[in-house]
Amino acid sequence: MTIAPPLDTSALSRNNVKISGNPAGRPIIFAHGFGCSQEMWRLVAPAFESDYKVVLFDHVGAGGSDLTAYDRSKYDSLHGYADDVLEILEALDLSDAVYVGHSVSAMVGVLASTHDPSRFGSLVLVGPSPRYVDDVDYTGGFSQDDIDALLDALDANYLGWSSDLAPLIMGNSGQPELGEELTASFCTIDPAIARHFARVTFSSDNRDDLKDVVTPTLILQCNDDIIAPRVVGEFVHSQIPGSSFVMLAATGHCPNLSSPDEVVKEIQDYLR
Amino acid sequence: MTQLETSFEDLYEHSPCGHMSLTTDGMIVRVNSTFLDWTGYAAADLVGRPFAELLTRGSQIFAETRYLPVLLLEGAVKEVALTLVCADGSDLPTLVNSVVVEQAGEEPGLIRTAVFDATDRQNYERDLLTSRRQAEASEEHVRVLQRASSAFVSSSSEEELAEAIVESMRHGFAAASVAVLLTDESGKLALAAGERPGSEEGPELEALSSRQTVVLSDRRAVRDRYPTLADELKSARLEAVTATPLSFEGAASGVVLCYYGRARSFDGDAIDLQEAVARQASEALARVRLQRRLERMALFDQLTGLANRQLLKVRLEEALATGQRTHHSTALIFLDLDGFKTVNDELGHVAGDEVLREVATRLRSTIRPSDVAGRFGGDEFVVICEDADVDAASAVAERLRDVVGAPISGIPDEFTVSASIGVAVHSPGISQSVTPDRLFDLADTAMYTSKNSGKNRTTAVIVA
Repeated sequence: MTIAPPLDTSALSRNNVKISGNPAGRPIIFAHGFGCSQEMWRLVAPAFESDYKVVLFDHVGAGGSDLTAYDRSKYDSLHGYADDVLEILEALDLSDAVYVGHSVSAMVGVLASTHDPSRFGSLVLVGPSPRYVDDVDYTGGFSQDDIDALLDALDANYLGWSSDLAPLIMGNSGQPELGEELTASFCTIDPAIARHFARVTFSSDNRDDLKDVVTPTLILQCNDDIIAPRVVGEFVHSQIPGSSFVMLAATGHCPNLSSPDEVVKEIQDYLR
Repeated sequence: MTQLETSFEDLYEHSPCGHMSLTTDGMIVRVNSTFLDWTGYAAADLVGRPFAELLTRGSQIFAETRYLPVLLLEGAVKEVALTLVCADGSDLPTLVNSVVVEQAGEEPGLIRTAVFDATDRQNYERDLLTSRRQAEASEEHVRVLQRASSAFVSSSSEEELAEAIVESMRHGFAAASVAVLLTDESGKLALAAGERPGSEEGPELEALSSRQTVVLSDRRAVRDRYPTLADELKSARLEAVTATPLSFEGAASGVVLCYYGRARSFDGDAIDLQEAVARQASEALARVRLQRRLERMALFDQLTGLANRQLLKVRLEEALATGQRTHHSTALIFLDLDGFKTVNDELGHVAGDEVLREVATRLRSTIRPSDVAGRFGGDEFVVICEDADVDAASAVAERLRDVVGAPISGIPDEFTVSASIGVAVHSPGISQSVTPDRLFDLADTAMYTSKNSGKNRTTAVIVA
């Protein structure tokens, strides 16, 4: 008789991992992008529960993750986030997993699966961009000044927004419980971490990594997506060997909220 | 009676805030006159366009990644700061409240948005923000330096200091990996702490010779200069490198290499801070190295480089304690040179020193690696042998007597030098416990027995 070593499950509480659906089904893991939390998938994930083992999680710094696990050196590149994904898959001992990554988490999935492809069965990249800033012979859609402007916009919105100041900012100083509810509801993110995450996200360049993807990949591209324009989605498609590309009818950057049914259908069709 | 508002149309169009309705994916379906007045657009310019297109680039990213997702999940958001771009290209800072309203039947929902001109607030906030960022940056600067300096001060060896440098750089600059390379006696760099991915030496040598921080801020910059290193970094999931030299009073003492997992832009302040930490590290390194030299001077004989009396005592105490614990014998071999006084008197001190140095060299090359040779004083030498009984120690003593008695080049043949040797052995089980001083006395006495019975011989005793 062989005894398997105990699995390291610390990633599960660190990343606030939630498991639902069919325990015997193929695993499908949903990764949220910058600015939100696993709530981002709440109109999409339930559609997979009858057939799949559904795994949701928060990146460190978002939602119900363990903020004390935030190590600036580790999370100074998307590799730190990719390592977390690998640790979650390992802690749950999942194989043949479908990884669905939105926005920056599309690239997190690319990095995780190229570093260790063994647990991945499929990648679904929703609005991916390997580099947001324009470069010679490459259109990412943004300039370096735009990224600095985003950091200004973040600061303008989070000026003094910490948990103890939130009730004042929300104008509910007489009703602190209301303020608490507002920060503790959807898509809570830690402002300082959000700032660093924004810098890491929008200064990353992972174009070189796309050609190393060996996992079957579906790219879902929206119309009029300012964050990840169509040319960028097509670039990703051209670089990932054997990838499939689907143009959604949805517009904007968040089809998982604005057109969840279409997103569900395209993923299901691809996996069928 | 005051006249009541009668036209809701007019109330909507000329309300004191901008109004706008959007589809849930952000397309403008209706705007009021106030909004058009503020922004200078015509309604026809806006209807059917994505709202995000009216925003500055920074606000666009914020709107798409934060404002819209939270709005759609929560059903409402309040006081979101977004900056609009007006028809004439000017910026209009606004605060936005939005709600999602369900439509009857199968119709998709709509987003109703109220827009408030926040120019004054924005100006005030910008000042606040600028000063807050400056305060945070200088606070961070001080914090990094303080952390580093307290870690460096408490380091008492090169190894400890190198580890402290790794930690300070990792934390201070969010480096994914840090390597500290220190120069050895011949001036070559060797890894002292941390990890050094890749084998191509480049940035470190450049930093060492130029005495300047070398910054390779992205993969392309690395590849242009060091193509092999670029490949090695890629497989280690790293992209950028900085190499900061360590030097003290003009002499290079090492290089700190910081590796980053993504392209990083380093402004002058960031490099200044790295160099300030490196200066502190250099000073600490000089202090640790000086300390080590002083310690060596205090423990080793200046002429021969052998252990001096203080160190011999410590080593003997350790050897006796080990022997007691492991039930092994410990031997102390005491040598006194025969004929040395004549050399010194007739050929001079320089020749005498030469003899002492040569004897030291011969002792060192004859004993086992685990033995300790020392100069007890004058022409007296000592060898401590762990795990040696009286037979083994006597055999070592005889070998020593042979090598010391061999001719010394530069010293005329008529000046013969030999050794009178005393061996004292402590055997747990047979011997009473003994102090180092007592064992020195016993070996010294045995040596005198050899001296008095004709010199150039060995006398061994076992401690009773």
